[in-house]
Amino acid sequence: MTDQTTARHTEANVVLRQVGKPLERTDAEGKATGRTRYAGDYTMPGMLHAKVLRSDIASGKLKRLDASKARALPGVTAILTAEDLPDRLAATDMPGQTGQKRAATDRQILVREIIRHHGEPLALIAAETPAIADKAHDLIEYEIEPLPGVYETSAALQAGAPVVTEPDNIVGEHKIRKGDTEKGFAEADHIIENTFHTQFIEHAFLEPEVGLAWVDENGVINIRMSTQVIEHFRFIADAMGVPHNKVRILGAMVGGGFGGKEDITVELYLALLAQATRRPVRLAYTREDSFVGHGKRHPFDITHKTGVTKDGKITALEVTIRADSGAYVFLSPYVLLYCAVAAPGPYRIDNVKIDSKAIATNNMYTSAFRGFGAAQACVAYEAQMDEIAKAISIDRFELRRHNFMRTGDKTATGQTVESAIWSDKCMTQALAALGEPTNAEGPVKVGRGVATYQQSYGRITWFHDTAEAWVGIEVDGTVIVRSGVTDIGAGQASALGQIAAELLGVGLDDVVVYNSDSAVTPLAGTTTATRALYMTGRAAHKASEILRGRLVEFAASELGVRPEDVDLANGQAFVIDNPESAMSLKDLAARGASEGLQRSELAMFRAPFTDPIDEETGQGPVFPDFTYGCHAVEVAVDTETGEVTVLKSVGAHDIGQAINPQAVEGQIEGGALMGQGYALSEELIYQEGKLVSPSFSEYLIPTSMDMPEIKSIILESRSGLGPFGAKGIGEPSLTPVAPAIANAIADAIGTRVFDLPITPEKIVRALREADENA
Amino acid sequence: MLREFELDLPGDLQETLTRLPGGTPLAGGTNLLVDLRARREEAKRLVWLGNIEAFRDIKIDKAHVAIGGGTTVGDILRNSAMIDAAPSLVGAARVFGGQMVRNQATVAGNVCSGSPAADTVPPLLSLDAEICLASSTGVRSVPIDSFYSGFKKNQRKQDELITGLSWSVPGPSTANLFYKLARRKGDAITVVGVAVTVTRDGDRCSDARIALGAVAPTVFRAKDAEAMLTDQPLTEELIDEAARAAMAQSNPIDDIRASADYRRHTVHMLTRRLIGQAWRSLAGKEADK
Ligand SMILES: Cc1cc2nc3c(=O)[nH]c(=O)nc-3n(C[C@H](O)[C@H](O)[C@H](O)COP(=O)(O)OP(=O)(O)OC[C@H]3O[C@@H](n4cnc5c(N)ncnc54)[C@H](O)[C@@H]3O)c2cc1C
Repeated sequence: MTDQTTARHTEANVVLRQVGKPLERTDAEGKATGRTRYAGDYTMPGMLHAKVLRSDIASGKLKRLDASKARALPGVTAILTAEDLPDRLAATDMPGQTGQKRAATDRQILVREIIRHHGEPLALIAAETPAIADKAHDLIEYEIEPLPGVYETSAALQAGAPVVTEPDNIVGEHKIRKGDTEKGFAEADHIIENTFHTQFIEHAFLEPEVGLAWVDENGVINIRMSTQVIEHFRFIADAMGVPHNKVRILGAMVGGGFGGKEDITVELYLALLAQATRRPVRLAYTREDSFVGHGKRHPFDITHKTGVTKDGKITALEVTIRADSGAYVFLSPYVLLYCAVAAPGPYRIDNVKIDSKAIATNNMYTSAFRGFGAAQACVAYEAQMDEIAKAISIDRFELRRHNFMRTGDKTATGQTVESAIWSDKCMTQALAALGEPTNAEGPVKVGRGVATYQQSYGRITWFHDTAEAWVGIEVDGTVIVRSGVTDIGAGQASALGQIAAELLGVGLDDVVVYNSDSAVTPLAGTTTATRALYMTGRAAHKASEILRGRLVEFAASELGVRPEDVDLANGQAFVIDNPESAMSLKDLAARGASEGLQRSELAMFRAPFTDPIDEETGQGPVFPDFTYGCHAVEVAVDTETGEVTVLKSVGAHDIGQAINPQAVEGQIEGGALMGQGYALSEELIYQEGKLVSPSFSEYLIPTSMDMPEIKSIILESRSGLGPFGAKGIGEPSLTPVAPAIANAIADAIGTRVFDLPITPEKIVRALREADENA
Repeated sequence: MLREFELDLPGDLQETLTRLPGGTPLAGGTNLLVDLRARREEAKRLVWLGNIEAFRDIKIDKAHVAIGGGTTVGDILRNSAMIDAAPSLVGAARVFGGQMVRNQATVAGNVCSGSPAADTVPPLLSLDAEICLASSTGVRSVPIDSFYSGFKKNQRKQDELITGLSWSVPGPSTANLFYKLARRKGDAITVVGVAVTVTRDGDRCSDARIALGAVAPTVFRAKDAEAMLTDQPLTEELIDEAARAAMAQSNPIDDIRASADYRRHTVHMLTRRLIGQAWRSLAGKEADK
């Protein structure tokens, strides 16, 4: 493993002027005033409106598709069916990088014959108005012969089950072997075994998928859209059979992604229709389209069998993992890998055996979702910790402390964690922040729970991840940053501005960030995997540092001192020991320009590169680094009705270094909300593979009335691989929330609901069963 | 996509009534427009009620409450006298939809939607409200208790408009409560709605109403349970028995929000709880006398 990180910060005394401050983000005013243009706000003269026709059956054979009536409708410009398209596939992959077998059955752009999930696209429509597109949609005639489908992973593995994915419905498998579990169980005084189940959930971003495409005078297909991944231009080009430089994806501010805009969404349809009609085409999903149009979070069944001594030392762990990958593979093997690697939690366990499988069914395909398998893992391992504590009558926080990994320890795959592991500190602070317990009254019981975690940030290290950023200073001393990074609402762009401002000695107001254009801004990779700040931040840091070096050197010669005597701050270059001796950055940049000083830099940051882990043992480094933290909650449970009220909710995370603490709080608060929905109320219900309620009247994300005030505690070990020692918080802030709530409910009612979401009805049932067993 | 429809904009009540035959009244549109978009509703011509004068007026005197047919759920909340004039209705209004929906949704529209989960209906039943109906041929009044005849069926004739609702202000010896059980606290469809009215006379309950939502094809009164309480001192045992009777009278379905079994269980729990609360709150008042 070639670790290229040079500057490993510890808790050194670093003076920071811009970084670490809750500055008003560069995107704040535009959003607050409504002036920010999202992808859906763009229009073009002569623009057509698109619509997608989808299968309302999950498993079937398309016998006939007749668009003649729709084509004859005045105002309809194009209807594309599989007949009209090249026979190419429509599923993205991170090519050749898993060492995993690739599923033999992949998704076609439009259905030719076999339909494998509800919502699979049958035809594309472009028309002069949205209303005409809708009418045309209803005029397309088709006949689907239903075929037997399979909707449970257990059924999909049975001999003779319908084959959704050739040859055996298994789309991914990972194993981890460490130590000797037999020996470990022999050393144990207790063996505790439980199975936990998580559900399908929806990303529920505020902004449904939307985009606008046009073919320009150079024959380039331009797509302006809401996406986490502008790098899909390559895939679109391949699918269209055109060179990569003939497709350009331009982002816009994104109204939320959470992994749901990580795979392709509307871009391929837009490209095909723009190319077919040679006119600009807009496609905006309705909420219903969005519900059936993109992949979901994988449901998992996770069984933990844990051996533990009577004083609470975990001696062995066996985990069996099953994920429902739905009808197509998409990112399932990677989600599964994340789950397997995360399965032991932030604990040091010497004997580990993990087996995992992702299994195809005729349910909606599942793919990326904030937490990416590791969140499901946490639902299981943190519930299991409380169950162990209960079974052996030991304090559940002490049990955790007894087993936490400490800085310098190895993960179950044998990777040494080089950054700080502050699980204990985070848990202690989160618990303290819960304050005095709330009094319980009558049938209402109060309980508390925590969950800690280990969650990677940055991509799998054998993906050889890189990111680029360009930083330049104008002749008037103002700064421009260019980077392809997509800003999905977390302040990804603003953070780059703050980093450049810090290093170049200007204010955030003096920086403008251009981002998210695959042809014009240097490619930064995707905004996924909690990698944007880490990777792109490091690239911007590197470019800024190089530029700073040049400016400092130039200023030193102008001021007649050595470069190490010069600092940049407050729009000035000045002599550190004699701040009176200074020149403004404006003069410096202008002087530099006239002297031919290079006032910009394009830099690439490379994450640590490794080889894939061993297939049989899973041993080897998997991720660049990990974030650690804790979420703690207090809940009230009405034991008569099963209603749960979350009374207190605290997230305490060591994020290395906050670039913008306010943005970090935003992540922790958003994670608390999303995790609460995951724990209590959110669930996509599929009946025979059909989503029965593509609507927010049935899919219940928490409202302001359901949320307590969230407390965010930011710890800064400055030990991460990101800029200034930052770690990542995007996914980690969500991961521990649902298990913390599950543990608090179990604490309140004395029994556990093992499957999410923990609805009032399940609580009443669990109480009744506990009563009957007593 | 919204179905196409014609929109009538009559200027006053008289014109509205003449336009109603063959037309569909459009109040807040929070059911109607949603249903048209989902293609559950076929109305071809909508008659907008927004121009009717004083249609949102609320009149409350010592004994009597009358609200206009255009009164919104938000109007109920904004009227400070309502908390005494209809405690259960205010309770329902507080947990009704979200702010935007409350500003738009009318009580009459809620009554007409006919949904067994309509939140203002159990309170109105618990208050013995009267529905005032008008057409171009005349005016009549129907007690809400006899308004519903089956799932989404009611006594309103096609050309009739609800011009208002009225009820008596509960006296000092009467408690009137509502509870909405749903899968989340804000903006959710009711799983079980319970409204109760208890009137206390000394150590006895002289009158009781128990109205249940979302546990039968229509909102209904659990009259067996009411009868068990009437003219009795309310002991914990009797309250529990009556709550069980309410449960026995409900006829819920399994749906994706909850099972019938859970709904029955919570009818028992919530009826018991609300009757008990109402009774105890009146005990306090008796003691103060
Ligand atoms: C997001 C959302 C949340 C909601 N939350 C709730 C909730 O918490 N609780 C709840 O009970 N409901 C809820 N609803 C449903 C709806 O808001 C209510 O039923 C509302 O009261 C309907 O009133 P409206 O004025 O919008 O009626 P409209 O949609 O305009 O009309 C509904 C029906 O009543 C008829 N009608 C309306 N006014 C009259 C009249 N004066 N005379 C005769 N007929 C009339 C119409 O013709 C139509 O058939 C919600 C709806 C949405 C969209």
